[in-house]
Amino acid sequence: MAEHKGLFTSDKMQAWLADEPAMETTQLSDRVYTVTDGKVRSIFLAGDTGVIAFDTFGTPGRARAYRAAIEKALPGKPIGTIIYSHDHLDHAGYAADLAPDAEIIADEMCAKVIGLREADGQLVPTRTLSGTQHDMQLDGVRFQLLNPGPTHGTGNLSAFFPDDKILYSSDTILTNARYGLLPDYHIANFVKFMRELLELDWETFVPGRFDLGDRAAFSKGCDYIEAIQVASQEAFVEMVPIWVLGAMQGYVGEKLRSQFGDLDGYDAHIGLTSIRIVHHYLMGGWGLEDTPSPGYLLANEA
Amino acid sequence: MSEEHQDPQAPCEHCGIFTIPGPLAIQGAYRDITFDPVRDNIWTVSEGIYRTIFVEGKKGVIAFDTFETPGTARAYAGAMQRVLPRKQLHTIVYSHEHLDHTGYAADLGPDADILAHELCDKVVRARGSDGQLPATETFSGERQAYELDGVKFELLYPGPTHGDGNIAAYFPDQKVLFMVDTVIPGVGYTFFPDWHLTPYVPAMKRLLSLDWDIFVPGHFWVTDRRGFEESLQYYDDMAEVAQDALSRGIDPQDWDAVTNYTQKELDPRWGHLFRFDEYCAMNLSRYMQQFLTGGWGIEGNMRVDPTPF
Repeated sequence: MAEHKGLFTSDKMQAWLADEPAMETTQLSDRVYTVTDGKVRSIFLAGDTGVIAFDTFGTPGRARAYRAAIEKALPGKPIGTIIYSHDHLDHAGYAADLAPDAEIIADEMCAKVIGLREADGQLVPTRTLSGTQHDMQLDGVRFQLLNPGPTHGTGNLSAFFPDDKILYSSDTILTNARYGLLPDYHIANFVKFMRELLELDWETFVPGRFDLGDRAAFSKGCDYIEAIQVASQEAFVEMVPIWVLGAMQGYVGEKLRSQFGDLDGYDAHIGLTSIRIVHHYLMGGWGLEDTPSPGYLLANEA
Repeated sequence: MSEEHQDPQAPCEHCGIFTIPGPLAIQGAYRDITFDPVRDNIWTVSEGIYRTIFVEGKKGVIAFDTFETPGTARAYAGAMQRVLPRKQLHTIVYSHEHLDHTGYAADLGPDADILAHELCDKVVRARGSDGQLPATETFSGERQAYELDGVKFELLYPGPTHGDGNIAAYFPDQKVLFMVDTVIPGVGYTFFPDWHLTPYVPAMKRLLSLDWDIFVPGHFWVTDRRGFEESLQYYDDMAEVAQDALSRGIDPQDWDAVTNYTQKELDPRWGHLFRFDEYCAMNLSRYMQQFLTGGWGIEGNMRVDPTPF
């Protein structure tokens, strides 16, 4: 049977979509678990009667591997709820393969984008949230869902577990330098909104990719993006050819090396990340999401 | 001028959204502008990288866009004065909202009327960038005809393509089409910044239903229908090759692997294009991300009605 294919149009993708990689699961507290395929990372929660899964992973095969990892950690408990961290297919694209009958919770703008996208396998949320803070009590688990404003993707929700002092935030701050071209990041307020999460009382940070971190790693991630914002502007003003990868890698890479060169992936990513950020200042930000008073163009307007 | 840039020792310049302390010498730097006739009363100007048009009216001048800095905006004003010394700029039309094309009306023509699509103007107003003036007149929808100072043209919004409220200007009597940061000679710019890849090609193809034979892009040189169609074919090919690369397990963040795959798979067909070696791998990486993440935001997930204009 053909796999759900997201936005892919080529039949060549079927084997890639079907692949079920090994998953590594770690229990973080009585109720909070984290799972990764080596790149993407998510969390799931042990409810009184079932499981609350954040996201789906990024292919049908990975969604099934995620489901198997949950079943192994919490045998016999069905996935009753999926919470989408944000709209992107590589995190929330395959609920149809993870748990097609589950309740799906998402931010209202995330739901609007998913409704427009009509990607094969990405199910439309059944319950939407509007606003910046939501106190959740689901199946005996207490936590907060937080939308500080546009950071990455659309309707990106972080999850805060005050009893366990855990923060989960997908595809925002990383514990390394592997940001690449910062796909669909909204630069204007990104660091400001992320620093607001540091005002909460948590100790363990679960990012949407790669390794876990702590407050110091999260704070360094904010410092890192902010430092690239400054160095990229300086590159522009000093007439570095901002459209040349090697030139930006050399200028910004050397300027920030002493402070951030120890971050994993620094040399491979600093040039690309700098090119993306300098274009924010050249062009002015992308869309209403990326302005000082962010908002969204709605579908009937665009 | 923002407060943080009020340096009495430095010439004052509008500073866009820069946040570092001034002076920002590059903002005021003068650039030579070349000017060439396109057809009838339409002229095109360029400083070598950016390009736009201005049009001679009966009484004055209609300028499209402002160039990318205060200094280039002033050079643009100077170029128009050399070509049409007895006519004053009275109207600026914004192609879209990005600062590198429309960020400095305050330096080009602070008293001019400014026309823009309403989606463009929403972003301009929310941004509040130093030197970028809001529109004085907007239009909504996908097509608006104007007869302004004796100049007949239409402004067309084909759907989300690049930026917000990005419009084409169509001059039916001259058979000229002008549109910025969409079709450009050569491969796409870097990583397709603020391109809306899902609706892009269907939206752009709508413009082929109009009767024009000269296309003026927002960068580099003037082209024609063949160049326009070849550019759209490049995007279609990129979508196919991006899927091929992912199916072979290539990570879009693995720069060496993406570069090698680009050279192997795209060079035979597209290696002749301007800036292929500079940007094609970035183009491919961006397209791979498009398939992995889905389109970006509302604009990036719209489905365009392909009905011809």
